[in-house]
Amino acid sequence: MRILVYRGIKYLVLILWSAFVAGPFLWALSTSFKNDAAVVSGATYIPFVDFEPSLEGWEVLFKATEGVNIFGPYVSSLVVTLVSSLVSLALGTFAAYGLSRFTFRAGPLGNTDITFFFISQRIITPVVLAIPYFLLLKMFRLLDTHVGLIIIYIAMLMPIVVWIMVDFFNNISTELDEAALIDGCTPVEAFYKIILPECVPGLVVTGLLCFIFAWNDFFFAFTLTFADTQLLPVSIVALNSSKVPWWSLSSSSLIAILPLVFLAIWLERYLTRGALLGALK
Amino acid sequence: MAKSRMKRFVVTIALAAGLSSGGMAWADKWSEKYPIKEDIPGPASYEATSKKDYSGRTLTILTHAIPVMGEPTALHAKQFEELTGAKVKVVHVPFGDLFQKAMIPFQTGQAAYDVMFYGSLWIGDFHNYLAPVPGEYIGMPQMQDVTRNYKDVAIWEGRMIQFPVDGDRHYLKYRSDVINNPELRAKYKEKTGKDLRVPQTWKEYAEMARFFNILDCEGDGEKNYGSAEVVARDNLMFSAIISRVAPYAKHPDVKGGFFFDLETMEPLVNTPGWVEGVKDFVEAQDYMPPGGNNFGLGDEIFSFGGGQTLFSYSWDDAFIQAMEPKSRIRNLVGAAPLPGAHKVWNRKTGKWDKFETPNRAPYICWGWTSAVAKASKNKDMAFDYLAFFANPANHQSDLLVGRFGVNPYRTTDFDPKFYIKEAGWAPDVAKTYCATLSGMDKSRNRVFDLRVPGVNQYMSSLAAGVSKALAKQLTPQQAMDEVAAEWKKITERLGKDRVRKAYATVVALEDNLR
Amino acid sequence: MIQSRYKYLFLFPGLFTLIAIIIFPLVFTFRLSFSSWDVVQPTLDFIGFDNYVRVFNDTRFWESLGTLGTVVFSVVSLEYVIGFALALLLWQDIEKNRFFRVLFIIPMMATPVIISVVWRTMFHETLGPINDLLSMIHLPAVPWLSKPTSALIAVILVDIWQWTSFVFILLLAGLLSLPHEPYEAAAMDGANRFQIFWHITFPMMAPITIGILIIRIIEASKIMETVYVLTSGGPGTSTETSAYYIFIRSLREFQIGYSSAMSIVYLLMMILALTLIAKGLTKGLVSKGGI
Repeated sequence: MRILVYRGIKYLVLILWSAFVAGPFLWALSTSFKNDAAVVSGATYIPFVDFEPSLEGWEVLFKATEGVNIFGPYVSSLVVTLVSSLVSLALGTFAAYGLSRFTFRAGPLGNTDITFFFISQRIITPVVLAIPYFLLLKMFRLLDTHVGLIIIYIAMLMPIVVWIMVDFFNNISTELDEAALIDGCTPVEAFYKIILPECVPGLVVTGLLCFIFAWNDFFFAFTLTFADTQLLPVSIVALNSSKVPWWSLSSSSLIAILPLVFLAIWLERYLTRGALLGALK
Repeated sequence: MAKSRMKRFVVTIALAAGLSSGGMAWADKWSEKYPIKEDIPGPASYEATSKKDYSGRTLTILTHAIPVMGEPTALHAKQFEELTGAKVKVVHVPFGDLFQKAMIPFQTGQAAYDVMFYGSLWIGDFHNYLAPVPGEYIGMPQMQDVTRNYKDVAIWEGRMIQFPVDGDRHYLKYRSDVINNPELRAKYKEKTGKDLRVPQTWKEYAEMARFFNILDCEGDGEKNYGSAEVVARDNLMFSAIISRVAPYAKHPDVKGGFFFDLETMEPLVNTPGWVEGVKDFVEAQDYMPPGGNNFGLGDEIFSFGGGQTLFSYSWDDAFIQAMEPKSRIRNLVGAAPLPGAHKVWNRKTGKWDKFETPNRAPYICWGWTSAVAKASKNKDMAFDYLAFFANPANHQSDLLVGRFGVNPYRTTDFDPKFYIKEAGWAPDVAKTYCATLSGMDKSRNRVFDLRVPGVNQYMSSLAAGVSKALAKQLTPQQAMDEVAAEWKKITERLGKDRVRKAYATVVALEDNLR
Repeated sequence: MIQSRYKYLFLFPGLFTLIAIIIFPLVFTFRLSFSSWDVVQPTLDFIGFDNYVRVFNDTRFWESLGTLGTVVFSVVSLEYVIGFALALLLWQDIEKNRFFRVLFIIPMMATPVIISVVWRTMFHETLGPINDLLSMIHLPAVPWLSKPTSALIAVILVDIWQWTSFVFILLLAGLLSLPHEPYEAAAMDGANRFQIFWHITFPMMAPITIGILIIRIIEASKIMETVYVLTSGGPGTSTETSAYYIFIRSLREFQIGYSSAMSIVYLLMMILALTLIAKGLTKGLVSKGGI
């Protein structure tokens, strides 16, 4: 009996939250097929039943002068996101492992302070960094380039990698490392042969988060580029004119999230595989 | 003998055919390929522009998001590319981020854009970075045809540094089907004892809007509301409040400033004239649709343009939206000058002056303009592009595409026949529209924006203060006192003389000294 | 802790790359805060502490911090509770719950600037679906963005919608990394669900809880785009958070020097607050036993 009540509550909670999560996306999907007439008379939901659908919201994403051709920005975003995520992941995981396994001392500052230093880079409001970063990239002639943005994103993402991975590394007992070292591994080999496979869930989550934050960044992509480098969020926002286009912003919100959804579906397996293996152990 | 006559005959026919077909091809050549009716001859026509060769060069343009101004920019950019061989890159940015996108490169000395489209009120901040318009462009017939207002807003200290490509203003829009409806007129007369008509003052506007609020005016089962306005704080509310304040605070006989007293640079925003307008605005929330006090320009366009409200009064967009081919209130709207006021504050005497005929103070609100960067290495191409953008053929075609956001600004634009014939507007709609717009040009009591350096700081402060009054966090007087205090600080920080010098040019326009 | 000369090899590449990139911007921002760089003069003059004095007298800044505190406290605590509950419901039964797990991760993948516009259309009081659906079930329409309290709730709601996923996925990863022995032991002891959670799961998740809370507090404090799109900080200044206020001053008004000073003050206060919070959490959670 208790189990049934528990299960009932469980599924109620899950269904409610699913509706909450899915709601805006369903609304966006429906709205992406609307035009003026379908919006100004009140809320409408189902195409053909409540309103006459139109492809305006989708067509405008693929036209050059009447809209924004998002194909180029899509590719640019992909390149910048992939490179910056992978580099941040590599450098950050290395650093996190170091902070987890070894002691560092810099005067009165120790490991926790260094770790905190990393994450403190995320505190400052990005808006004030507009001109400083602009000047930085200007100095190196990296304004309006993919490389420039990649560099900025690395600084943006590494803190998160370090902050999360330190926790995951701390969860793994140092006995494993010591055993590996005794077996004759160098610390670097111990790191990627023994320890890394243990924290696959952490890596998966961190990688996903890096990808998400880089893919969805608007501010730096906007401030530090002119005409040559257009990332996806900037090109979508280029449709936000005096009259807010409900339909094209809805369609673009769906198109922008699509690759991430695929990534999530793919990575979720890795997230839970570790647990499966753990259970078998 | 017969053979040579035959030959002559054939040659003559051939020549005649060649000449006539060549002549026809002349007029058709451009209109066949491009969405214009016909190429109108002139120094920036399609024909003239095609003779320029800019191959191998690149032009970079910063413009508004698509479609308002953004789409015609991209369209004419593509055409310019085809005609001249240049490569043109266009960057689209929403209005809220446009200032920063242009200013950061300016302030850091980075030459980013050759041409910029932006809000003309930023002339005070941008003027140091803009290239003056060369005489040959000012001399073009298409430029000479620009009305007084729109030439005025392009000029800084005697030189034209902005290139007029559009004309914007605030005016009153109303539902003519409601105002002229005999049943509703009777109801209104019964309730208030007054006639239902186009409101002449803001008090009348309020009375009528209140009456029709939550009423189903159209008999379609949907509630209608009084007024759709731009109220969202950091959207464009600062312009809406200026429209409401203008007739109370702009005294036709009191010269020397509307925002400031030019001599002392004392802010005037907390004077009774201003406060009266703010009071009206606060009360207007009673007759706005639900959520109306957070409306941005986009919401206002949907609201009035979609038939929800009786009145609206900001830029052209809502009117154009209402007149779209598929709009259900097409040809059921009218245009009129902004409401006036029966009392105007006279700051010289410190008293309210009564005006039998309502005082009108048309707000020549900022709108879209363009300019060429001083640091640009492609100034020749840039000005040619802008002249091409604004050439009569393109302009006429742009006027007909509502979503382009290009509105009348040349004397030839104010002909109702154009809208009746080309756009299919009903005659009275076209007539009220053209009369209202051209009337604003002739007024001697105009209000311009605060076109000084730091305008955004003043306007942001104004919006924040009015917003507090709207939210009833403060009374209108308290809110405006706060704004005035902050304005004093801003002036001090930016340099009183610098601001005064710039404001003097605005006052010169308003006091008709030019 | 292992000692080795390899330790620098691990830490330094990342650390130095980060420092190399951020050192100039940070120092420059600090320098800016002592200048009067404004819209009329892009200059690096030196005006001493004038900007900082202004910050301390700026009631609007301190009010925005207050609003921020309310928002951050609400969203982080709710996101943690909901996220944890969801993670607990879904971390077992690997195959069956796959759909829910993936679905619940999706909101944080939406681009904040764009999804805020979608939310704004949803909150539209006459043309949007939320009030429409409320009226269908005979509930009164809520003045979502036009009254201070409901506007704040709207902002909080959007943040919770988007970032619960963040907490969820991290807690999920954490749960999936937990060792199995304590659970086997508890099963043998016949502990019930609640006891297992309170005495085993929760204490073991304490370190990652602290990590997640800290990072969520940092991220939530930067909330800007949602406020920008939904309410413009209004009605009045009721939803104006610090990041939004700093945005207005810096990129709308171009009071670069002043806004830099504001950010530095904000940064220092956040560091102080986070240090206190971290200490408090560590003490609180450690005392629960287990670490």
